[in-house]
Amino acid sequence: MGIPGDTYATLRANADAVWEEWNRPLRPRINLAEDTSSLAAGAHAVWVALNRRAEERGAAIDLGGTAGYGLQWLNPLADITWPDGTRILYGPVTLDAVDMLIDEAVGRTGAADRLAIGTLAGSRAGIASIEAHPFLAEERERRLTVRVGRTDPASLEHYIATGGYFATARALDRHMEPQAIRQVVIDAGLWGRGGAAFPAGVKWNFLAGAPGDEHVLVCNADEGDPGGWANRVLLEGDPHLIVEGMLIAALASNAHYGYIYIRSEYPLAVERMRAAIRDAEAAGILGNDVLGSGFRCTFEIVMGAGAYVCGDETGLISSLQDGRGMPRIKPPFPANAGVLLKPTNVNNVETYANVPLILMHGAEWYRQYGTQADSGTKIFSLSGNIERVGWMETPFGTPLKAVLAACGGVAGGGVLKAIQPGGPLIGYLPGRLVDTLTLERAPFAAQGAGLGSGGIVFIGAGSCSVDLNVLFAEFVELESCGRCTTCHGGNQRMHEIFRRTGDGLGRTEDRHNLELIASTLQFSNCAHGQLSPTIMRNTLRHFEAEYNAHLHGTCEALRCPGLARFRITDQSDPSLVEAQAICPTGAIVGEAGNRIVEDSACIRCGACTDVAPRAIVREAAPAGTELPRRAPAAPPGTASAFGVPPLSWQATGLARPEGGMGGPAPITLFV
Amino acid sequence: MPLETEATAELRALLADIKPDATDLLGALHRVQHHYGYVSAEAMRVIAEQLRVSVAHVYGATTYYADFRTTPPPRTNIGWCSGPACRLRNSVGIRDAMLATLGIAMGGQTNDGMVGVTQMQCNGSCEQAPQVWVGEAVVGRLNAARAIRLARALRDGADTSSVISETASTNGGGH
Repeated sequence: MGIPGDTYATLRANADAVWEEWNRPLRPRINLAEDTSSLAAGAHAVWVALNRRAEERGAAIDLGGTAGYGLQWLNPLADITWPDGTRILYGPVTLDAVDMLIDEAVGRTGAADRLAIGTLAGSRAGIASIEAHPFLAEERERRLTVRVGRTDPASLEHYIATGGYFATARALDRHMEPQAIRQVVIDAGLWGRGGAAFPAGVKWNFLAGAPGDEHVLVCNADEGDPGGWANRVLLEGDPHLIVEGMLIAALASNAHYGYIYIRSEYPLAVERMRAAIRDAEAAGILGNDVLGSGFRCTFEIVMGAGAYVCGDETGLISSLQDGRGMPRIKPPFPANAGVLLKPTNVNNVETYANVPLILMHGAEWYRQYGTQADSGTKIFSLSGNIERVGWMETPFGTPLKAVLAACGGVAGGGVLKAIQPGGPLIGYLPGRLVDTLTLERAPFAAQGAGLGSGGIVFIGAGSCSVDLNVLFAEFVELESCGRCTTCHGGNQRMHEIFRRTGDGLGRTEDRHNLELIASTLQFSNCAHGQLSPTIMRNTLRHFEAEYNAHLHGTCEALRCPGLARFRITDQSDPSLVEAQAICPTGAIVGEAGNRIVEDSACIRCGACTDVAPRAIVREAAPAGTELPRRAPAAPPGTASAFGVPPLSWQATGLARPEGGMGGPAPITLFV
Repeated sequence: MPLETEATAELRALLADIKPDATDLLGALHRVQHHYGYVSAEAMRVIAEQLRVSVAHVYGATTYYADFRTTPPPRTNIGWCSGPACRLRNSVGIRDAMLATLGIAMGGQTNDGMVGVTQMQCNGSCEQAPQVWVGEAVVGRLNAARAIRLARALRDGADTSSVISETASTNGGGH
């Protein structure tokens, strides 16, 4: 045992030296941002090319890595740091920009100015500070994401040199009482960022008060909401912030073990969090003697496997317990009986990430941003029909209209039809509300929706509400765990009704049945079932006319397969040859000058209009149009729709049960 | 007791450190799938023995999670993104076009095992929408026509990397 303050001071001194070198390197350094979005944009190939070209040219530069800065539509991003401390962010740094970037790093002649986004440090004539970028107009001060895009997420030293683990060391050094830590978190007004918005400090009180010495912490990094990736930003961009948040929570609630459950869609996050834990252990920040204080704390990473309901805290606990991740009935609450029946606290990634900030700067500082009810800042991920896709950290209460403006408005200057905040359980609101909504809980709740975990999908005029309901209804059906009949049966029916409506076979009684399903679903056990009709309810409330039009054979957006068709309008267009060749079902038939789209064979994929946009139109289908063909069923014996074939008893090597169940046992998964 | 096959011995070695009540199941399944490409009935039996639970329990979990497959994977898997940002840009057309091109249903694969299509979830690279994964690589800013060319090339035995670079180049950078 030693003195936490001294242990920290040693770590800090070393870290400061590394940080100084990072900011004022001996040779120019190109840092390439590597995160899931950058990799999707080809950052790995750029990394390989940068290394190869730098070596081939014998350039006197170094290469480093960061995470993305939030401006995802400009990926891959890279910055150059020069010895005098000037640092400029560039993008998109595609393969053909590699040499240009090396030229600029070496010669500083402005060779890459065309790709300059802004300065991260220092100044350069003609290039504005990154803060002046229009996408960041609604950001005030990056607090949660202060390091993301500026530090190397793999570097413990960078984290420490920028204030990391200071709050923990100070709390240990001063023997801060667990209760006092919890009180600061309560005073700051931090509530859970996973969607349920329960006050974090109060939740920790439950765990601290639980009997026994085997309290368990769980970090819920199973960020499953399609269109939401706020947690990923932190997991990939500042992993130690989450480790420290959990470490403080452990101190505050007398826990010594923690699980970080990360969805498998984020392999890079798994890798970075594993490395962060390993480095923190090696530095004595985690382990049997945290910073020399004698406190012990260990964390373990568990990778999920593609089950949305594992984002529910009891579903996640079930999944950790070596089984199906099915949410269970509460009580008992996790604080009484959680992982392996030990008292457990589950918080979202972003909830934990706020904690070091609060302990470092105090509750009053934390409340500088946000509103009375929703203090602090929040990371929002923004996607859909907008010009600029990415993430930003804004204070709660920021006007949504300003955020949309920062995103460059609706792509192509069109009308905003709808907003889909918070994932498939949270809401679907009309676009006109963008003028009045602010990013805080109350105004969204007043519209029967919510903020959820911070994903916002902006939806343009070319989309159809019924089609989007098919998407979300299918999602909640597929992701139902199957425990409650209300949920797995209700969502199956809801999906079927919307699909049928899109096929042009909507019925008058569907409306009543949808409302019946919605009122029945609320009796499901967990939030998944209870909230799965939210989007449908929002649709019937705000988009009733559009829904009704489908019952009368009209899909104005021409997205629904049964209410639209393709027709050749210009027989002389030479691209029709290619259209005929591309059609995957051979639906374009006839000789040149006499071609038609055979409607019964057409699957409405739109490939023909992709290649012959001026010769073929998508138009409203007249009444009595033959329905498009569904994709053929899988050949027998290959795989079912779920990729899971029946498993025969012989194959398992188990004895067949007595009396009955002859032959291969067909497995039916709520299809 | 039947003689232990070589395959079982290999599985036992792979899963030797899997213990009961230690939150090891998901890790064990991921490890098996990473190693063999799928989770066989035999692997489930070995995992069940290690965890001291029934094979039915392991089978239930394996088939509960979308990640795990119980049959060998195709040579190339196309993962189709089912997220909302992709949906706004004709991902349904892309899905149906690829499935029709290959003559399979979602989750299936061609009879010769060359190409399969599985449904994937959004991972927040929505600036690439609509996107698919070919193996591990993202092919973004697709449209239905390019998706068909991609599926046809893979079906006809084209190399994954050449298909990706070809599709990427027809994207023209996309910015």
